[in-house]
Amino acid sequence: MEAGLERNFIMSESVLRFEATLRSLMRGASLPGRQMACFAFIGSAFYGALMGTYGGFSGHLSLAQMLFSAIKVPALLLITGALCLPGFLVANALMGLADDWPQARRALILSQAILAIVLASLSPFTLLFYASTSHYPAAILFNFLIFAIASFTAQNVLRRLYAPLIAKDARHLALLRGWLALYGFTAVQFAYTLRPFVGDPTQPVAFFRSGAWDNAYVVIIKMIWNLVVN
Amino acid sequence: MTKAIGELDRLLRGETTKVEKLKRGVLDVDASGLAIVILVLGLFYGACMGSFGIAQRGLSAVPQLIATTGKVPLLFLLTLIVTFPSLYVFNALVGSRLTLVSTMRLIVAAMAIMLAVLSSLGTIVAFFSVSTNDYYFMLILNVVVFSVSGLLGMKFLLHTLHRLTIAQDAEDFAARATQAKTEAEAIPTAPMPQGALDKMSDQAIETNVTTIFRIWIVVFGLVGAQMGWVLRPFIGAPHRDFTLFRERDSNFFEAVFSSLAKLLHLSAGG
Repeated sequence: MEAGLERNFIMSESVLRFEATLRSLMRGASLPGRQMACFAFIGSAFYGALMGTYGGFSGHLSLAQMLFSAIKVPALLLITGALCLPGFLVANALMGLADDWPQARRALILSQAILAIVLASLSPFTLLFYASTSHYPAAILFNFLIFAIASFTAQNVLRRLYAPLIAKDARHLALLRGWLALYGFTAVQFAYTLRPFVGDPTQPVAFFRSGAWDNAYVVIIKMIWNLVVN
Repeated sequence: MTKAIGELDRLLRGETTKVEKLKRGVLDVDASGLAIVILVLGLFYGACMGSFGIAQRGLSAVPQLIATTGKVPLLFLLTLIVTFPSLYVFNALVGSRLTLVSTMRLIVAAMAIMLAVLSSLGTIVAFFSVSTNDYYFMLILNVVVFSVSGLLGMKFLLHTLHRLTIAQDAEDFAARATQAKTEAEAIPTAPMPQGALDKMSDQAIETNVTTIFRIWIVVFGLVGAQMGWVLRPFIGAPHRDFTLFRERDSNFFEAVFSSLAKLLHLSAGG
């Protein structure tokens, strides 16, 4: 009884501590970079794992697919960021805004963490959607929607984090827009390269889908077209 | 249990949610006690819902009755699990002062209201179950009963949120008055760290929180409806064998529409 109470107390204590960290993160407080990266990684890996459960709803739950997706979603966010960061740094330096770089970088990392947390918090919706449909393209489009919501939210936060910078120098706004365009453009193609995330139950589980390295944008337009026409 | 029922009673009478009682910005309810009451009320309504099968097919519908009894609390639990994390996260993002615990208490209280209304209508549903043999009528009746209780629960939620805000504002005002007094005594205070969302005024935050709760209410309704569809059958169509769950197809809204059409003999196929 005594021990149980104590364990309960420690549990609620750590939950409260975790919550306090989470809240200060979402209020844009400056946390150590490692902690933010941790949130970004765990949140996106969690979403990835659940994203890979699609087959489970038709009786083909694949732990491998869950694991692959749990690796791929954080990789998507991380590597896209890494791919776009050098260009962004150079653009900042060229405009003579290198002094603000630490603040700008912190804002970018924080918004990534928030993107991941929002993704994780929306993951139950994805499960409900999986439980509601056996239409594979619809499941993919739903995930697309969830990522869009999370990205939109993160972008909103990024915009707020950038407000002091923009107030200092209006060119930060142009840079921010450039970053978003660059990141979004790269992320979509990268996500397509990394697929499958959801895992078509009729196909064998694989880390990468074999096939031509075609272009994501063309495929998405075709997919929406097919859904509308059929 | 008696204590928990007393808690529900105070909630229903609005004693728990009086502005004076919300001073600390926390709804003072015993969430785990209420959860048990919610479970019991849900089981009761489930039994009322499942009684249609018994009235139609006698004892062969007992598995359906048992399944339905369990499914109603499950429906509410799963709907909460689906919608709660994002409610909390978006609230924190707009700078709400509601902590995880107080958000949870608020939602549990709203659900208690919802289930109190639902189960109070349960006897009526049971009466219709016994006295009608129209399956589609029962479907629509249950949808209506769930909608009514859902709407009342959500209304309670918004009102309580509003009252919490008022109570907190009063507290803040008092706190600020004290602070102003201390500042007058020239004690320098450290400036608050400037956060990403701190630029907004309190009023803007409150508006945002209300907006998030409004959106959440709509989402909760949609998710609840679709969750009900995923967990079907609840009532048990008279000519179909018992299954715990049916295959994945269609959705709630389409099904309600076609039930209405069938009830009113609108569709050509009958």
